[in-house]
Amino acid sequence: MGRKRNLSEDGGGEDEEERPMKERRVKEKQEVRESMRPSMIKNKEKRAAVHAKLKQQKKVEKRKKVKAREAAEKKALELGEEPPPKMVPRTIENTRESDETVCLPDDEELFAGNDVDEFSAVLKNERSPKILITTSRYNSTRGPAFISDLISVIPNAHYYKRGTYDLKKIVQYANEKEFTSVIVVHTNRREPDALLVIGLPDGPTAHFKLSKLMLRKDIKNHGKPTSHKPELVLTNFTTRLGHRVGRMIQSLFPQDPEFRGRRVVTFHNQRDFIFFRHHRYIFETKESKQKESKGKKSKDEKNPQERTIARLQECGPRFTLKLISLQHGTFDTKGGEYEWVHKPEMDTSRRRFFL
Amino acid sequence: MPRTTTVESSGCPSLRALTFDILGLIKVVEAKGEQKEAPKVVEKWGEPDASRCVLAASLVDREFDPLLGVARKSGKIEVLSPVNGDVRASISIESQNHPGSADNSIVGLHLFKGERLGSSSRSCNLLTCTSKGQANMTYVKMSESLEDSGGESTQTTWNVCGSGSILCCKVDADESYALFGGKGVEVNIWDLSQCAKVWSAKSPAKNSLGIFTPTWFTSATFLCKDDHRKFVAGTNSHQVRLYDISAQRRPVVSFDFRETPIKAVAEDEDGHTIYIGNGSGDLASFDIRTGKLLGSFLGKCSGSIRSIVKHPELPVIASCGLDSYLRIWDVKSRQLLSAVFLKQHLNSVVFDSKFSTREAQVPPQQQDTDETLQTEEEEEKTVKRKKASKEHSGSKKLKTKKKSIRSKGDSNDIA
Repeated sequence: MGRKRNLSEDGGGEDEEERPMKERRVKEKQEVRESMRPSMIKNKEKRAAVHAKLKQQKKVEKRKKVKAREAAEKKALELGEEPPPKMVPRTIENTRESDETVCLPDDEELFAGNDVDEFSAVLKNERSPKILITTSRYNSTRGPAFISDLISVIPNAHYYKRGTYDLKKIVQYANEKEFTSVIVVHTNRREPDALLVIGLPDGPTAHFKLSKLMLRKDIKNHGKPTSHKPELVLTNFTTRLGHRVGRMIQSLFPQDPEFRGRRVVTFHNQRDFIFFRHHRYIFETKESKQKESKGKKSKDEKNPQERTIARLQECGPRFTLKLISLQHGTFDTKGGEYEWVHKPEMDTSRRRFFL
Repeated sequence: MPRTTTVESSGCPSLRALTFDILGLIKVVEAKGEQKEAPKVVEKWGEPDASRCVLAASLVDREFDPLLGVARKSGKIEVLSPVNGDVRASISIESQNHPGSADNSIVGLHLFKGERLGSSSRSCNLLTCTSKGQANMTYVKMSESLEDSGGESTQTTWNVCGSGSILCCKVDADESYALFGGKGVEVNIWDLSQCAKVWSAKSPAKNSLGIFTPTWFTSATFLCKDDHRKFVAGTNSHQVRLYDISAQRRPVVSFDFRETPIKAVAEDEDGHTIYIGNGSGDLASFDIRTGKLLGSFLGKCSGSIRSIVKHPELPVIASCGLDSYLRIWDVKSRQLLSAVFLKQHLNSVVFDSKFSTREAQVPPQQQDTDETLQTEEEEEKTVKRKKASKEHSGSKKLKTKKKSIRSKGDSNDIA
């Protein structure tokens, strides 16, 4: 391709003088070679060689850039100036499509809506959460193990055998016994694959897909959780829908954590996937084994010998949830009204998220 | 790959819609057609309060003295002015056993346009229906001040059904008949002048497997303006049925639509097109004569549709529901014209079609200043456009428009 273009250009420039023509031709050739991609070369060995060379070049350039940046930063620090601004990598999250449903902190209507929604009774501590956990019709191996893990995570959770009852009957029963939520663990091929969370008495029903389940016993160096009420961390639930799902999850746990237990349950939302983790943390004062040069620097502020660090120990289980639908009212697949269902036409972009 | 819409939307025509949500707020959304702007929330009436949750709303859409009726969860019915949101009258319907309780809430409200019982501009008639089946015709006298309102009202109450719960209640265009239907209640037609039942439907026969689906009507509407005998009803078992009173007691046409219950049905003026919204946010138009699907309205609508209205003049429908968006659609191309996020679950929407003529009646002095301001802005825009774009034709058009507006302004000045 490139050669062809050269030829044609040669033909066009014949009228001019010889000497400058040659120089120009050489220059042009170089330019063409630079703009030429190795994939255009048909000979494989040549292509590989050119590609390797290009790659090496790029690597060198990158290293140079990094070094220059580091040097500039160091210099700025020495001179006591502001260091140059750090580059922030572009990720799918921070280039997310703007969404008008994102909750703003000064939204009065949001708070007014929160005060009267289905979860407010639990979240205001007027009712203490009481959870009924049951399964789908068939249940074996990983299902019961997961449920026993869940029971150790959620305080005041009770497992009831499903039997052959309809879910609507179970919801009715749970309502009479003053449960605040029902969790149904759905298993398929002996592997838990969906979670149904039903708010009671008239709260919404959320249907989650459950994946990447790792039980406590499969986690290396796992800890055994105590029976203290855990702290709850909910991150990144930004939109109205996310806010609602977050509040729903919040209503499963007691609102007065016992900080003595140092137990923390995390629901982290990232790109519409909700990651569940369960940890125990500890603050330790540790003698630092820092090098002297570094120790000198920090001597002015505080004693380098004693530093407090936080250590985490995972207690498990570990799993990922994805919201499939949020239904208004309690479980009713036939006559239910959906507040949110995922539809294929909504996937217009990778950078569009709903939670 | 999902299909992405590539058809360029023509922008929203100028319209005014009022939405009612679960916190009792009334939001007025206005679109200015000429400037091709997205519709915006112009006004917001009321304070967020769950007990004031709007259950039903009805608008008397006329040029002079329009009225808006709103039924609240607390059992109160307010008559407002849709122009500025002032409460003209507020009454509470007296039900026999327990007023305003959760299991006997108001499901339907209709404000009468026509002259009835000697109604004047200072009074109005309204029909309400509770879920227990208590229909109520009330004559309300309105007053300017709030304090002495509500005292003067006459009520006639009758029972529409013995058991079950009413879910839909509609009044036909002539306002002489009303239909009621619900869970366990077959559709009834009542003559409003005599408060007597005229007709009631018969449930369809068992299907081929011998299974009988229990009656559960979720929405209904009269099909055309000049005929009270045909109406369309949507059921919880995702069936849409056309009934003809003059023909038979069983449905004339019935067909299924998707898998979730039909939650909203609206009719077109042409008398055969209907719009159907269901519990999972699907919106489609059907030709009721044949029962054929004309097309679906695709637009990322993710929550149950609670209400659909057709604009009385423009080829535009509005839908709203649990996804808290007000969506405005073009009827012909079935494209989404715009969506406005309104924060709460919405219960109903109405179009105020006569607002533009009303605006024109605003004293001319104010408008003059507005218009001059607008022309100035437009001038600036045209200059910019000329510089930026090569499209001379567009700027020329704008120029002519500007001139015409200016001449109008001049004439107004002279006048």
